[in-house]
Amino acid sequence: MKNLIPRFSAKALITIILTLFAFTTQIFGQDGAKLFKAKCATCHSSHTEKKITGPGLKGIFDRAPKGDWLHKWIINAEKVIKSGDQYANKIFKENGSVMTVFEGDLTDKDVDAILAFVKGPAPVDPSAQPDPPTGDGAVASAEKGMSIEPLYLTLGVIVILLILIGAFRSVRTTMQNATNRSEGKPENPDITFAQEVKQWMAGHRRFVGVCLLIIGFMGMKSCWDACYDIGVYYDWKTKKGYKPEQPIKFSHKLHAADNEIACQYCHSSVEKSRHAGIPSVNICMNCHKGIQSGPQYKEKEIAKIYEAAGFDPKTSTYDKTKESPLAWIKVHNLPDHVYFNHSQHVVVGQIKCETCHGDVKAMTVAEQKNPLTMKWCIECHRQTEVAMAGNAYYDRLHKALKEKYAGQYDVKFTVEKIGGLECGKCHY
Amino acid sequence: MSMSKKYWKGLPELNNSPEFQEQSKNEFAESLPMDEFLSSDDAEKSGTSRRDFLKVMGFSTAAVALAACETPVIKSIPYLVKPEEVTPGVANFYATTFYDGHDYAAILVKTREGRPIKIEGNDLKGMAHSGTNARVQASVLGLYDGARLRGPLVKGKDATWKAADDAVAAALSGGAIRILTSTIISPSTKAVIAEFIAKYPNTEHVTYDAISYNALAKANKNVWGKSVVSSYDFSKAKIVVGIACDFLGNWISGEEFSKQYAKNRKVSKENPEMSQHFHFESTLSLTGANADYRYAVKPSELGKVTAALYNEVAAGTSNAKVSADEKIENADAVKAIKKAAAKLIENKGKSLVVSGINDEGIQTLVNGINKMLDNYDKTVDVVNHLNLKQSDDKEFAELISEMASGKVNVLMTYNCNPVYTAPAELKFAEAITKVPTVVSFSQVQDETAKYATVVCPDNHYLESWGDANPRRGWFTLQQPTINPIFAQPRHEGTRQFQQSILKWSGAKTDYLTYLQGYWNNSVFPNQGKFGDFATFWANALHDGAVKTYIHKDVVIAPMAKDSTGKIVMTGSANVVAPLFDSTGTEIPEVEIAKVATAEPLPTPDYNKAASMATSVKGSGLELFVYEKIGLGNGNYSNNPWLMELPDPISKVTWDNYVTMNPIDVKKLGFHEMLRQDIDGSVAELTVNGVTIKVPVYPQPGQAVGSIGLAMGYGRNLSNLKVANGVGVNAFGFLTIINETIQPINTKVSIKTTSETHRFAATQIQHTIMGREEFILREVSLKEFAAKDKNYWNAPVEIEVHGKGKTHVNEVDLWAAHPRPGHKWAMSIDLNLCFGCGACVVACTSENNVAVVGKTEVSKSRDMHWLRIDRYYSSDMNTRKGKEENVGYKETYIEMENPSANPQVTFQPMMCQHCNHAPCETVCPVLATSHSTEGLNMMVYNRCIGTRYCANNCPFKVRRFNWFNYNGNEWFKDVNPAQQELGRMVLNPDVVVRSRGVMEKCSMCTQKLQAGKLVAKKSGMPLVDGSVKTACQAACSTDAIIFGDLNDTESQIAKHRADERSYFLLEDVGVKPTISYKVKVRNQEEPMKFEKTASAKHEGKKEEKHS
Repeated sequence: MKNLIPRFSAKALITIILTLFAFTTQIFGQDGAKLFKAKCATCHSSHTEKKITGPGLKGIFDRAPKGDWLHKWIINAEKVIKSGDQYANKIFKENGSVMTVFEGDLTDKDVDAILAFVKGPAPVDPSAQPDPPTGDGAVASAEKGMSIEPLYLTLGVIVILLILIGAFRSVRTTMQNATNRSEGKPENPDITFAQEVKQWMAGHRRFVGVCLLIIGFMGMKSCWDACYDIGVYYDWKTKKGYKPEQPIKFSHKLHAADNEIACQYCHSSVEKSRHAGIPSVNICMNCHKGIQSGPQYKEKEIAKIYEAAGFDPKTSTYDKTKESPLAWIKVHNLPDHVYFNHSQHVVVGQIKCETCHGDVKAMTVAEQKNPLTMKWCIECHRQTEVAMAGNAYYDRLHKALKEKYAGQYDVKFTVEKIGGLECGKCHY
Repeated sequence: MSMSKKYWKGLPELNNSPEFQEQSKNEFAESLPMDEFLSSDDAEKSGTSRRDFLKVMGFSTAAVALAACETPVIKSIPYLVKPEEVTPGVANFYATTFYDGHDYAAILVKTREGRPIKIEGNDLKGMAHSGTNARVQASVLGLYDGARLRGPLVKGKDATWKAADDAVAAALSGGAIRILTSTIISPSTKAVIAEFIAKYPNTEHVTYDAISYNALAKANKNVWGKSVVSSYDFSKAKIVVGIACDFLGNWISGEEFSKQYAKNRKVSKENPEMSQHFHFESTLSLTGANADYRYAVKPSELGKVTAALYNEVAAGTSNAKVSADEKIENADAVKAIKKAAAKLIENKGKSLVVSGINDEGIQTLVNGINKMLDNYDKTVDVVNHLNLKQSDDKEFAELISEMASGKVNVLMTYNCNPVYTAPAELKFAEAITKVPTVVSFSQVQDETAKYATVVCPDNHYLESWGDANPRRGWFTLQQPTINPIFAQPRHEGTRQFQQSILKWSGAKTDYLTYLQGYWNNSVFPNQGKFGDFATFWANALHDGAVKTYIHKDVVIAPMAKDSTGKIVMTGSANVVAPLFDSTGTEIPEVEIAKVATAEPLPTPDYNKAASMATSVKGSGLELFVYEKIGLGNGNYSNNPWLMELPDPISKVTWDNYVTMNPIDVKKLGFHEMLRQDIDGSVAELTVNGVTIKVPVYPQPGQAVGSIGLAMGYGRNLSNLKVANGVGVNAFGFLTIINETIQPINTKVSIKTTSETHRFAATQIQHTIMGREEFILREVSLKEFAAKDKNYWNAPVEIEVHGKGKTHVNEVDLWAAHPRPGHKWAMSIDLNLCFGCGACVVACTSENNVAVVGKTEVSKSRDMHWLRIDRYYSSDMNTRKGKEENVGYKETYIEMENPSANPQVTFQPMMCQHCNHAPCETVCPVLATSHSTEGLNMMVYNRCIGTRYCANNCPFKVRRFNWFNYNGNEWFKDVNPAQQELGRMVLNPDVVVRSRGVMEKCSMCTQKLQAGKLVAKKSGMPLVDGSVKTACQAACSTDAIIFGDLNDTESQIAKHRADERSYFLLEDVGVKPTISYKVKVRNQEEPMKFEKTASAKHEGKKEEKHS
């Protein structure tokens, strides 16, 4: 038994090392794929002969001059052309444009990785696999299976109670009539349930009155509460918000999570303007000129972008006359009488997108994840501290606040403290 | 006490007829046709029972309620290809040029998502024309005018451009062609016209301005041998004498002159000196209202004043006098001429005499005076002259006679509307019918365009390329800030004038290429800052302006072209010398061709000039046709912002009227006292035999025996929805005297009628009623310099038990509110506010202030957040009343009446953002509250419209939305927010208010927030001056200073510390955020009012000047 442990450890160690090695190679290979996607895919197709801006790369290793030519070409194509290289000039003439210079951008290792990816087998089309159910859906259905809606429970109880009352009543009437009969009294007149309730209520006026008042107030209160939700596309209980169907089945999950595209790449004005900005079609085309098929809907959804841009994927040409703008449906709506500025929150407040928009990276369909009501804004303004340190704008204010709250500990300089709850800061 | 009075409901009750007695028993005066209705069979047949009715009502109410709950689906449509420079939500500014043939301004245009929404002055260093007036500010709305033509018209019908071009081409083939334009200051446009003339040599170009300045050029020709308009520098003038010259308002370049003039009105205890200004005029103008001494003289006497002044100055400088009739009725004016002349001579070379009368004689005499005073090259400059106002009235009159005799085959009118503006005696409308082909380039179907065979609508200036050379050596560029709104495929589209002319002259380039060619050949070689044209052009576009190194008059000639029709670019930067040296200091420019190089100067005949100047024979009633600050020459009369801008003097909106001195009003039997509930009288005015009906407005300051009438009104065109039917057209009453168009008419008679007219005035009380100390502090320069602050700007103190006299601010019920971050504040210098109203329009434009129309204004429901109060001085005051035993009540009644020739003060008034705001304490729903930055905030969505706040506001600056001005069809013609196009001018950063809410000045909080954000994002403290309110930015004299008081180095902190600083109604204890600066008048006489209220507080009547 004593020997067993070290022997086991050795085996484990070997396994771990081997696994790690396997992983590292895979990382290496994946790196190539990723780099290709980031740097090359806009202009080249990796495993077909399809021309996008540059030629398709299938068979490139057979076509191109051997040795480190490809390497040099990728790093600085301009230089190779200028050097008078025959093949390079031929390629240049055929395609009519010079390849982007990657000098300083890509290292030799990166180029190796990219070439390894191009040389390797075509990547498995992820769309071939069935689409996994989204996290939300799965959780929701699981919850549904386990819990019974409280409303149904209450209704059930009421029904049972009513049956019981009916049963007891008929038992009581029968019993009383039986007693009466045995005592020789006349039978109780056969009155309906409603009449009896009426009689009972007449006998308990005060109680009934108080009950009605309470019910009335409760009704009014719930009406009042309901008014707060007018125009709010958000259910506080289920935490579910507005989730309209968009003209294109665009998945934030695919773009932001799987492909790791930064939010600002598309919502480019988020740091400059009050609007985060819905990307213009030309931003979509930056990538989708090359990526012409998606994992789930293949060409179908991407074709809608082409239609909007007036782009013909076959000839890679734009036709200005066929342009037709896309009308996205706005998910996060604020009323007109409130001024909200994205750049204020993202740049100055250093608030993460997710804080207000939820985990967008997990959404296949964009959904409102927060109520966006004034209460919600104010709650955040009450709690959030202002990032004053290091911002010279706040120096004077910071000093004044420190003087004001001198001697008090545990004081947070929240947005509220600098006037972030004042009406005129958002309503003008 | 029993009721001794009996009030009748009306005359029927008084007569108490039997019918009345019968009727008085009924609830309704007239019987309702109930029986008729109920007995009708139709009601039964219709089958609609009461039950059905209730069902339908209930259902529709429920449906409406439900529908209201649903938030609409909002769509977001992004660009297909986003222009690189556009970020949605961020404004872009473009430097361009405003020029409409009348006003010129170098401007910055604020665009949002590609729409121009606001005009600002171009504040480039060294820029002369950086100010904007009300008309320039409002011009952005003209872009979205629904009356604009969407495509060319041929014979009054919509046509294609091809059809229009063909129609013009057919007409050009034979006969004389005349191009009639207003002054063109664009050298490239002149070159374009030269191209056309080269192609069609029987073409002549005639310049005609509706408001002519022809005499200035004629006088300069007489005295200096150059037909140009001099440039002026009021900042170097210690003594200014104006003779009917509205140089702070409309004269040539009002905002430029007011900026210069203001430099000499900035007075402080350290520098107690300011210019002195004498003014002689007939109708009270903005400039006259700001003069230190103003004298009313009849229009026919203006020439005599000039001659008298000439003779006084000549006598003082030992020059030859002229012989002229110098008889002036106003004895004060005669004395003043002597005094002014003495002061002028004292300040030789540092003075300036200007006249606004378009008379060769008067202007020649004025030139003579300035020459005798050695003012040339100091305050007046004929070398670096202005290029504005080049009209030639004689040529225009000749053109009309040519037209009338049928000699003109084609007439093209550009930027002018002579059918509307030409003097009636020239009979232009008659002559134009004799011209076979009339081509108009008007943007709207105006009076002249109605006569046009072909209308080729020009682009709006915000859609156009162009350039301007307003002054020798200065060039500004005009660039489009939006694509033409009316364009293919929705409309046939508009086309720039220059493009049309180039096309017709057979040039193969577009106007932009032509413009670049012109700049390459004519401007680029003279600049000397940039070595290559591309950089020069990019910089010129960015700055909007170029000051050339070599000052030369521009070349106007067709440009050389190569065989393919391209412009040959010959310009080379031959003089490369920086305008600024390495330290950034400006190197003075080389002035080539100083005047009087070798040419001998002409010898002016001043005697002839004097006889011309005094040639107008006076009459019992004389008419002076004047230009209003709002509408100018009527170019923008379809602009509702300008229509609703109160006239700075009369405070009347949406109208023109006869201005008449109250003395004459009384004498002639018109309604004297005008309050909002007392209507004005309508008079029958007969001029040159033409009789029109026009209301009479009692205007203090109008010369007795004369009346005034404003131009720019009386457009009777149904397509101009705003202007249609407002006022009367006074252009027809202009006269031709000494071959120039003059505003003086002596063939006038006036008669009363029984009709009345409802004026829509925003201010109906005219005097300050003895409350100078609390509202309007003024002091004479002499007292200001000699005595200390306690005399002319005394602190407001009250007696406190146990403490003695205490400053009112120390007596306080409330604790002070901390302002840890910013403490916004504003200072308004009453010495620098001339009342021009540019700020009012800027505020309207920036804050989406609703236009409400005449009826609502007449009910005091105007919506302007910023108003300019105008106060006249009165002959009566409480002290005088007591001394002369007038009687208490009578004194106050008399104090309500302004003097016949009053002193005028302007006071901009907006929300004072009181630190102890009375409005805030009475709001039941906290819709108005105070911010930690010192602003009084107004939350529209919280407001339930109780209007307590407005009631409790001591400054009366709160405005209530009585209607949904943006939706109610009563306002559909006047409110731009109701039109598909007009709506585009709205500022997307400011909420459009709806019915039932209060609104008021927010201190442009949207601009403050934006300015703070810029500072926060860059991590730097807020730079003083980086945030400007709209009114401040629009003010060309810097009368309004805004900033953060917590920044001790800021401008506002300095102004607040100034001894002239005071607060309005300080004794009330509301602690306003806005301070004013005491007005100083450069006069020897002490100010005529007394310190009343402090005396009251002290319990004894201490009477001294405050």
